[in-house]
Amino acid sequence: MARFRSKRRKVSMKPAVKKNQGNIDHVTGDKIPKSFVFSRGKLPSLLKQLQMDLRKLMLPYTALNLREKKRNNLRDFLNVSGPMGVTHFLILSKTETAPYLRVARTPQGPTLTFKIHEYSLAQDVAQSQLRPRCPQDLFKNPPLIVLSGFGSGEQHLKLTTIMFQNIFPAIDINTVKLASCQRIVLLSYNKDTKLIDFRHYSIRLQPVGVSRRIRKFVQNHQVPDLRSLQDVSDFVTKAGYGSESEADDEAATVTLVSDLGRVNRASTKSAVKLQEIGPRMTLQLIKIEEGLCSGSVIFSEYGVVRDKKMQEENQKNQEEDEDNQGDDDGDDDIEENKEEDEEECV
Amino acid sequence: MAEETHMPESIKPLRKRKSGHKKGNKAKKKQKQFQGIKERVKIDPKMKKFLRKKARDYNSDDEEEDESAHGIGDEKVSLHDNDKQDFGIEVEGPENEDEDDEIQPGITKFSEGCRAFRIAFMSIMKKSVSDDSLGPVLSGHEKLVAEKLAEEDAERKVKREAKKEKQLVGEKGHVKPANYLDSHEKFLIGVATKGVVKLFNAVNKAQNAQKGLDPSRTKDAKIIKKRRKEAYFSELGKTPASDSNAKVHKSSGPVDSEGPSWAPLRDNYMLTNSKLKDWDKMPDKVVADDFGKMSEDSDSDD
Repeated sequence: MARFRSKRRKVSMKPAVKKNQGNIDHVTGDKIPKSFVFSRGKLPSLLKQLQMDLRKLMLPYTALNLREKKRNNLRDFLNVSGPMGVTHFLILSKTETAPYLRVARTPQGPTLTFKIHEYSLAQDVAQSQLRPRCPQDLFKNPPLIVLSGFGSGEQHLKLTTIMFQNIFPAIDINTVKLASCQRIVLLSYNKDTKLIDFRHYSIRLQPVGVSRRIRKFVQNHQVPDLRSLQDVSDFVTKAGYGSESEADDEAATVTLVSDLGRVNRASTKSAVKLQEIGPRMTLQLIKIEEGLCSGSVIFSEYGVVRDKKMQEENQKNQEEDEDNQGDDDGDDDIEENKEEDEEECV
Repeated sequence: MAEETHMPESIKPLRKRKSGHKKGNKAKKKQKQFQGIKERVKIDPKMKKFLRKKARDYNSDDEEEDESAHGIGDEKVSLHDNDKQDFGIEVEGPENEDEDDEIQPGITKFSEGCRAFRIAFMSIMKKSVSDDSLGPVLSGHEKLVAEKLAEEDAERKVKREAKKEKQLVGEKGHVKPANYLDSHEKFLIGVATKGVVKLFNAVNKAQNAQKGLDPSRTKDAKIIKKRRKEAYFSELGKTPASDSNAKVHKSSGPVDSEGPSWAPLRDNYMLTNSKLKDWDKMPDKVVADDFGKMSEDSDSDD
């Protein structure tokens, strides 16, 4: 009884208007992916913080204050996700060997299971920086996503790519406002180690060719200290120090279409500066399941285990030999399944 | 004569003393003396008188009387010897009692006990106490208590270790980032920057085309549409060539290298599809997916 009631309450908390509108972007008319970040099992405090960091990363289309209870099972979340238009689950769990992150498409999968080899919290990252940056509206817009190194043509990597591309709303380059591009999520696949580096940066634009002093002056609107100068012109002409040595990389400069803030004017060159905001994770894709945390295993990093299983199954049923050989066919099936899923979700 | 004159004087101080002293004692003394007199017939009256006076004098603290009495003091001592204990003791008894009452008995009794206590105390103090956590007080149960304490200690140690281990397991994989940017981080930032730059440039290109035109006017809207289309085509035409170089694009490159990635741009779009009627109910997915790819493309394209 109690569980049933809580579920209902959760659903009813959501405004009805949003239920209808929330899924679709006003400008492009695209479906906006939404996500839940939650945990299965009891997490140590550090992983709880990681969960919170992930929620912040997934903002604004996620439930930041999602409360989960011990008795909540996956089905509860699934039941809520339907009416709320939640399309993705990020599930943190932990075993004795390592913490795990599962990224799942609702309601029917597939589910990617990542082993988290290393992770750093946003807090740790901020502590490691001299001047951590967090503008007010940093989390008001969804991040961009950059996937790098996933193009080796393997099926499971392709699936991962599609999964992560669709986890954030797509960008229409004709209508997008550059001011809304504040953050970027980077997933970089390393072929040799088979590890995925997960990083989260904030994007900052700086005008090129302006001395640091003047830039600061324009930005801060504070009266500069002119005590040591002979003339006002010195302030403008005198070369700065310190970060002036950071040569503006030619590759990192962009020309803006419209004004961006006070400093970056349209049709001037600006340098793109990235600063990490965390969390930081090193992931290893270990398993892909067809369903939502269930169903047949499409891909497994530890092939041996799978083979064993298969052998057992073979012993039971000789006919399954064919399935074993047809790995590629299976992967193709995933894609189809996925597409079907998405169609169903519409 | 001298005695009589002395008597009242001697009494006076006595009375004075009586006020501070035990009255009953005196009365007892007298009674005893009389009893003694009754019993002892041998003692001549002169002697008796002298003794009585002597006793009174002795009891009084008057110095003058003392001095006067001193002269006879020797006799008295001899008398005491002669009479042996019958009178002497009788007289001296209360005397002793007086003194004892005041100071003596406690001290004399205590002195013996004191010595024993001293010896015991010294022996204790002489003992060298081992540096045990257990005091000498618990020495009786030394073994038992030590065992218990050791057990507790071991238990606590085990608990502590278990807790530590648990914490370690909980923190497994947690890494504090270094204060500086190592080469790997720099590389990652470089990749991300490249992606951002590509997107921004693409946005710039796309949005420059429609600059200065008001989309609300139909005439301009048409132009915008046209330019947009051109821009798209130019972008997409370039895509496959630039893909092979662009690291960022590698991901989506092979996926859609066969043709234009956006479904509507494919030649057979809508033509091969028999469900033209329901075009608005078309799977949104295709569009969403392609926009997803678009963003990816825009990341990689210049």
